[in-house]
Amino acid sequence: MSPQLIANIVVLAAIYALVSAGYVLVYRVSHVLNLAHGELMMIGAYILVATAGLFSGNPILALLLAAVSGLVMGLVVYAVLMRWLTGEAVLAAVLVTIALGILLRGLSILIWTTQQFYPAAIFGWRNPPVHILPGVQISVASLAIVALTIIVYAALFLFLQFTAWGVRMRAAGQNPLLAEQRGIRLHAVYALAWGLSTFTASLAGMLLSLDSGVESTMATIGLKAFPAALVGGLDSLFGALVGALIVAAAEIAAIQFVNPLLSDVVPFLVLLLVLAVRPWGLFGSREQLDRV
Amino acid sequence: MTNVPQAAPLLAIDDLRVAYHRVAVALHGVTLRVMPQTIVALVGNNGAGKTTALRAISGFIGVDDARVIGGSIRFAGRRIENEPPHANTARGIVLVPERDKVFPNLTVAENLTVAATRRASSAERRRLDELVFALFPALAPLRARLAGLLSGGERQMLAFGSAIVCKPELLLVDELSLGLAPVVVDDLARRVRAIRRELGITVLLVEQNVGVALAIADYGYVIESGHVVLEGPAGELRGRPEIQQFYLGLATGNQVRRYRALRERPANGPGDRRQ
Repeated sequence: MSPQLIANIVVLAAIYALVSAGYVLVYRVSHVLNLAHGELMMIGAYILVATAGLFSGNPILALLLAAVSGLVMGLVVYAVLMRWLTGEAVLAAVLVTIALGILLRGLSILIWTTQQFYPAAIFGWRNPPVHILPGVQISVASLAIVALTIIVYAALFLFLQFTAWGVRMRAAGQNPLLAEQRGIRLHAVYALAWGLSTFTASLAGMLLSLDSGVESTMATIGLKAFPAALVGGLDSLFGALVGALIVAAAEIAAIQFVNPLLSDVVPFLVLLLVLAVRPWGLFGSREQLDRV
Repeated sequence: MTNVPQAAPLLAIDDLRVAYHRVAVALHGVTLRVMPQTIVALVGNNGAGKTTALRAISGFIGVDDARVIGGSIRFAGRRIENEPPHANTARGIVLVPERDKVFPNLTVAENLTVAATRRASSAERRRLDELVFALFPALAPLRARLAGLLSGGERQMLAFGSAIVCKPELLLVDELSLGLAPVVVDDLARRVRAIRRELGITVLLVEQNVGVALAIADYGYVIESGHVVLEGPAGELRGRPEIQQFYLGLATGNQVRRYRALRERPANGPGDRRQ
């Protein structure tokens, strides 16, 4: 395998990992599978298009504003939609996220049409390839994605492991009733999980759009990152990282050695294979198989 | 210690009715009083409604599908029925549940940090943390262990610990003795009295083991099929023949096994209740 191929796998794995972190966060805390995650990521990218248009002279401000909007987006989705479904059947909540996804896809076409936007061009940024090793080159934006994925995962790990609110999020996922009895406001914890989930998804969407633009089909990346989260086991961040690597490696290998048209199919083939052998994923908890 | 009638109760429950799934009524009008800094026991058989009463005080969440449908719960004079558990914990009503009393995938130390309460300042919080390990020294070497790997007795200690760091004013204990060895139960019973002394708090205890409950408590209520059927100072209840017969197993040969079956007999105890 050539070094360039490995670099491509790492970049793709970083994208999948960054997106699937959001699936894991929401699932781990509320056992809800957010099937609108890809659409929310796409909206995050479109928000960057909007803020870039408003503040084309000040890219930092535009990026910051878009990132904060990504966080607020999750809080709003929880407050106006998902909040009313806590305590109801998980299936109902999952169906609502499917409906939300369809709604967001329709709305985004109404607002932004199917045209492709390049926020990087609005800033006047170029996206030159860099030689990280002799004969290995990736784009600057891809490099940023890899770096950001590492930062996000490190931050999430430290947050969940060592801060009181991180421990509370883990506790609420295990036993919501006891969490409430220990003074934890479940709605606050769930809203936080949704906010962090759409925040990381928006970061992924923003960087992807800086790399290769955004159009109405970006949501499929969310769909393809879903197998990465499932392969690793939906409740494990470490599993999502490994799952992303496996799915990305399989996809790049299929593109390189078999047929580029397979790229959209391979993640799901990997998923079927893993679920047949280990239905709870590679690193998931065995008892948490009440997934929908 | 006995109830002083003129003092204001910390917890006053009047004619409390609770329904599950909108139809199944689990409590039919329970009335009880818990005076400040006393230990009150709520005893009765399995399914009598003791846990439901305690859960109603602590608060239900959506998945319980349970509601207070009548009557009132007053804590320090304020009505709190159908308030969410986190709000009641913030008021100082903290429950040690019967089952699932710790977070199994968190360590012992994390089970203590998890408690979110704005009642305690960070200095107070540190003091409460120290108090937990002073009351339950057995937990100290287990700080880094996952709670799921603890023994039943250690779990119960940790459950008390995580309730204590919430800075309770009223501690609700659901089944102190269930599934524990008698030695462990005796030890825990002493600790409950120590907790009351150290923190100056009030305890409402639900127990199937009437002997244990009446040994710890100052005052007791006997509940059967969702009704309070008997109440009185714990020492007095211990001496009553019906209690000895039905719950303490001290007498044999009588066919009557439930207090309600005795209702038609003239009741003459000071705390007798008839409906």
